[in-house]
Amino acid sequence: MYEIWLTLNILFELALANAGLVIAWLAALIVLTLLALRSGAWRRGLPAAILIGAVVAAVAFVMLPGRSGASFGELRYWLDWASLVGFAAGFGGAAALLAWPLAALFRRQRTARPLSP
Amino acid sequence: MSIDHRRRAPKPGRRDFLGDAGRLSVLGAAAGATLLAAPRPARAALETSARIVVAGSGLGGLAVASRLARELDGASITVIDRKEAHNYQPGYTLVATGIWPASKVSDRNADFMPAGVQWERAFVAEFDPVANTVTTDTGAKIRYDFLVVATGLQLDYGQIEGMDPGAIGTRGLGSVYNGPDAALATWRAMDAFRARGGEALMTLPATPLKCAGAPLKMTFMLADRLRQAGTLASSKVAFHSALGNVFGVPVVNETVLNRWQGLGIDVSFNSRLAAIDIGAQRATFVSPEGERSEHDYDFIHVVPPMRAPDAIGRSELAWQDGGFAAGGWLEVDKDTLRHRRFPNVFGIGDINGTPRGKTAATVKKSAPIVAGNLVDVIAGRDPTQTFDGYTSCPLLLREGSALLIEFDYEGRLTPTLPGVDPLQDSWFAWIMKTTLLKPAYLAVLKGRA
Repeated sequence: MYEIWLTLNILFELALANAGLVIAWLAALIVLTLLALRSGAWRRGLPAAILIGAVVAAVAFVMLPGRSGASFGELRYWLDWASLVGFAAGFGGAAALLAWPLAALFRRQRTARPLSP
Repeated sequence: MSIDHRRRAPKPGRRDFLGDAGRLSVLGAAAGATLLAAPRPARAALETSARIVVAGSGLGGLAVASRLARELDGASITVIDRKEAHNYQPGYTLVATGIWPASKVSDRNADFMPAGVQWERAFVAEFDPVANTVTTDTGAKIRYDFLVVATGLQLDYGQIEGMDPGAIGTRGLGSVYNGPDAALATWRAMDAFRARGGEALMTLPATPLKCAGAPLKMTFMLADRLRQAGTLASSKVAFHSALGNVFGVPVVNETVLNRWQGLGIDVSFNSRLAAIDIGAQRATFVSPEGERSEHDYDFIHVVPPMRAPDAIGRSELAWQDGGFAAGGWLEVDKDTLRHRRFPNVFGIGDINGTPRGKTAATVKKSAPIVAGNLVDVIAGRDPTQTFDGYTSCPLLLREGSALLIEFDYEGRLTPTLPGVDPLQDSWFAWIMKTTLLKPAYLAVLKGRA
C-alpha cells in the first residue's frame, strides 16, 4: 500500500516539475473533449485513437532507452523490459486520450460533408 | 514540563499543498484531489502546547517537521538552520559524472519549509540537553520540550594534509561531497582526464560516510567515461580503501570487487589517504603500521573523513563511549531513534550513531518513525515504532545501468520489489536514480511519503 502511495506522489512531483506540459495536455484534452462531445462520433474515433496510441507507444519504446543515456543492450533484466513496456504504454495512452476526441471530430466532419451532385 | 495535549479532529490541508494545487488548478478538482490531499494520519491530530526544536533543515529535519506540523495541533515547532539553499545530495554523483547539470540539485529551503513552522535562520552552536536548551551562533537561547537533531554531518577535509576543498576541479582534483559546485568541478576534472587518460586514484576513508556507495559509483562511472572516450585501456585506475573492504555489506563488497577486477581496477586495502600535494599531483597513503607510500596521479577522487558537527560532538548528546564516540555521533537507540539518555530527544539522518544508514532512503523510511515515536512520547506513551536500519544505494555501474541495493542493520539485502535481484545490472535501477528518486525525495521532504 505504501508503494502505491509513494508511486502516486512520484507521479505528482513529476507532473509538478513538468507543469507546463501537463497543463497544456490537459487543456487540449478538455477543449477537444468538449468539442467532440457534440459530435456523436465517439465510437468511430476509437480505432484511429488506438492506432495513434500504438504508434506513439512503439516510438517511445524505441526511443526511451537512448533518451535515458542507455542502449537496448543495457536492458538485461525482466524488470527493465516490463518498465520500458509500462513507460511506452503510458506515453501511448496519453497520446490515444488526446487523439480520441480529435479523431471523433474528424470523423464527424467527414460524415457531414455533403455528397457531390 | 507542563504540556497540554488533547485529541482533536484532523487539521485541514496545509498551505504548501494549496500552493502546489494552485499551480495545477486546471488539472481539475476531481483528478487532483486524490493526489493533492494530505495523507490523513492514522490517528487524529494530537492537541498539545509542546515546544519542539528541530536542529537542521536537510531532508530529515524538514521531513519530520512537516509530519509534526500535521500530526500535532497547537505545538510550537521551530526549525533552526541558516542554510537558504536546499541541496539534493543524492544527485551529486550524477552531477559529478556528467549526467545532470548542477542546477538540478539546488533548490530553496524557503520552498519546503512547512506552514506553521517557525524558521530560525541560525546555526545551533551549543546543545544543552540537561537544561533543554540550544544556543545559536547569534547567541539566542531557545528552550524546548522536545528536540529533533537533524544536523547532518561534517566533512573533515582537514584530516588530509595539504587538501584544499577550494581547489576541487583544478589539477585533476575531484571530490563529489563538497556541494553542487564541487560536484560540477569534479566532472570537469574527470572529463578533462578521460580525454587523455592516465593514472587515477580513488579513495575511501575509515570513518562512517554519508552515501557509502558514492566512492564506488564514482569509480564505476570513471571507468565508463574512460571506456566511452577510448582511453580505458591506456589508463590505470586504483582504489585505495582505508578499511579492509570497500563496502560494509559483504555480498555487495564481493560483487563490486569482482566487477572491478573485470574492469582492471586495482584495489589496495588498509591504505588511508593521509596527504596530498595538489600542485605536484601526488598523494600519500599510509598503512595501519605507519608505512607511507607516494603515488603520482592525473586524477584523484578525494573522499573526506566525516564526523558529527562540533556542536554535537562536544555536547552531552554524543556517544560517550563505544565505537561511535570517536566521531561524536548522536547517541540514539537504533530501533526507536530516541536518545538513550535524554528521552525528549530524537535523531534523524546522518547524525545518528547507528550501525548503518546515512542515506536519503534511510530518512525516507525513518522520518515517519521518528515523528510517530515523538508524538507517542508527547502523548505520554513509550515509542511504538521501530526502525530496521533500512538503507538503499542505487549503485551506478555505467551510463544506463545500476544496481538497486537495499539492506538493513544486519546487512541483509531487503529488496522492496518482490522477485527483484538486487545484484543484477538494471536499466530500471538507472531510471530510478536519474528520474524517479528526486520526486520521491520531494514527497518525503513535504511529509507526504
